[in-house]
Amino acid sequence: MTSKDATTLPCAALEITGLSFGYPGAKRETVRVGTLSIAAGEQVLLTGGSGSGKSTLLNLVAGLLEPTAGSVRVDGRDIHRLRGPARDAFRGRTIGMIFQTFNLLPGFSARENVMLAMMLSGAGRGEQHDRASALLGSLGIDRPDADVARLSVGQQQRVAVARAVACRPALVLADEPTASLDPENANSAIGLIQETCRQSGAALVCVSHDPSMRERFARVESMAELSASMAGMASTASTASTGSHA
Amino acid sequence: MSDFAIILRSLRARLFSTVTTVLTVAVAVGLLFVLLSMRDAGRQAFDRGSGNMHLLVTRDSSPMVSVLNSVFYANVPQRAIDWAKYNQIAAGFPLEWAIPVQQGDSYMGQPVLATTPEFFTRFEPSVGEPWKAAEGRLLRDKGGATLPGEAVSDDADAHAFEVVVGSRAAQATGLRLYDKIHLTHGIAQSRQLGAAAVSGDDGKTDHGGHVHKEYTFIVVGILEPTGSVHDRALFCHLEGGWVLHAHDRHNADHDCETHGEGEEGHSHAVGVGDLTDADRLITGIYVRVATRPGQQVSGALQTVFDQLRRDATIIVAQPNQQIMGLFRIIGSIDQIFVALAVVVMLSSGVGILLSLYNSMSDRRRQIAVLRVLGASRGRVFNLVLTESAVIGLLGAVGGLILGVIGAVVTSAVLKREIGLSITPSFGPEWMLLVTVATVALGVVAGLLPALLAYRTSVANNLRPAA
Repeated sequence: MTSKDATTLPCAALEITGLSFGYPGAKRETVRVGTLSIAAGEQVLLTGGSGSGKSTLLNLVAGLLEPTAGSVRVDGRDIHRLRGPARDAFRGRTIGMIFQTFNLLPGFSARENVMLAMMLSGAGRGEQHDRASALLGSLGIDRPDADVARLSVGQQQRVAVARAVACRPALVLADEPTASLDPENANSAIGLIQETCRQSGAALVCVSHDPSMRERFARVESMAELSASMAGMASTASTASTGSHA
Repeated sequence: MSDFAIILRSLRARLFSTVTTVLTVAVAVGLLFVLLSMRDAGRQAFDRGSGNMHLLVTRDSSPMVSVLNSVFYANVPQRAIDWAKYNQIAAGFPLEWAIPVQQGDSYMGQPVLATTPEFFTRFEPSVGEPWKAAEGRLLRDKGGATLPGEAVSDDADAHAFEVVVGSRAAQATGLRLYDKIHLTHGIAQSRQLGAAAVSGDDGKTDHGGHVHKEYTFIVVGILEPTGSVHDRALFCHLEGGWVLHAHDRHNADHDCETHGEGEEGHSHAVGVGDLTDADRLITGIYVRVATRPGQQVSGALQTVFDQLRRDATIIVAQPNQQIMGLFRIIGSIDQIFVALAVVVMLSSGVGILLSLYNSMSDRRRQIAVLRVLGASRGRVFNLVLTESAVIGLLGAVGGLILGVIGAVVTSAVLKREIGLSITPSFGPEWMLLVTVATVALGVVAGLLPALLAYRTSVANNLRPAA
């Protein structure tokens, strides 16, 4: 299923329309997406070669970069219309992110890493502790108070997953979450991410250049096709414009 | 989880840098605090020497010199007041007391003050803190009480040669109760009887003074510390001091006569009974104007002061005013010390800045992650700024502790080394001011690193390290 086939659902987790982005000084735009709609709870694999703009697209969706044009609606709100602290707070509440290198905070325990995400999204202290403990327990972390730097890579990844879903986000963005793992562990890790998102009801956009990931996702989007959809949009707009002039 | 927990973890994550920066700030704050707490205490210490004296009468060159010489033993006063003048002053004004003092002798470099027993019964080196004997007794009037079993004679000469030793002087000389000593005319290194004297056979010392071996003084008391400069002095009866000087004068006269006849002169020991009015000279008068009971200040003080000043043959000084004048003179040195401490404080602020600034390159990823998790730019800015303030606060607290310890140690050293009793004043207003100033310094030092945190690019810093 591609974006062209997708029907727009009333409560889409992510809706992208006419999005483009280019780094300052670059000759061409790094990201071009005509339309992309992901329903609540839907899981999508985003593929593309190196430099195709996958990670940049995730940063645009998270509101960490400003698009040249277009809109990104997350859980029904255009994230780029939000400014400053409002956008940061919205991101904290609505979007969970998982990184290739996990980006856990060293010096903090596994539980504290999860609680930190909840704290920054406004959760109360009591809720932080209870939910973080429950999440880590369900993901098999038996040493929640250990410094994350002392956990195994597999356990670190579980903590990163727990942190991403701690605030019950509508959308989880996973950027090459298995790139540094061997195939067996990669398969296990992506399974964990998918299952956790499924249980929390979050939609998942997973970026990977690993072809073996395709069979794990019902829907796969490639950056090339998304870019082509942008070209199609431009062509349609041009035709419509010509017709109206005629 | 709270913002403060994030700050503490951040400080703990770079513990060495945090500790060294906090120590730098603490040392600077401690130095500043010691200076501030000792400033007023130093003035109080100088006040201790003049005690409950209102006026000082001498024949020195100026009131300031007068106070420095006759209260602080800076130098031996060069000009004497005769006994008739003393009687005229003591009887001619409404005075509570007028105590004659004579300087010019020493023992092992410690000054000897010849005076009357009133010096110990009326004059207080610090207001409300009278003299006390740690061992033995104070100087007594002739015929006054001695201690049970005290082996001193009560004839006139024996009474004149009693000596009481200040606490610091006792430490410096090693003198003990009932030790017998020879005093030195002038300031020189005379020694205890029986010990090796530095003086030669002719009685001359290497400092130009000479030891009076003809007269043996006996230590009848060791004083308790008073925290004043008097602790480094020895005190004897006025008659004892006069006899030493009379002896020199009589022998000089005798030498002239015998040398004139071509004969070798012989030393003749002068006694108290041989003293004439020409021998009864003093170098100063400690004066207290009559006051109402319990009052320290007298309305008559200014009148007496003005009347005494009309006498062109004497110098009249109000010690408290002279000490204030002295502090005005040395106040600029004081300000230099405070300025130095402030410079050290500022450099410690630069230390905080560098510590945080250098850590920013390591913390960009952490900041980016916090931003991804929902922290705003402002919140990240505040986190770094608060972290800097916390370093300042820890430094201030550490500095106050160091300052209190430093001030106590400094006052103990000053008391031990120069006998100056200083009670450091740790006013809460100073503590609060120093703490607030240090935290403010921390905040200012944290502005640049906080700005860097504010401007950290999230997207760029989330990428895996190359």
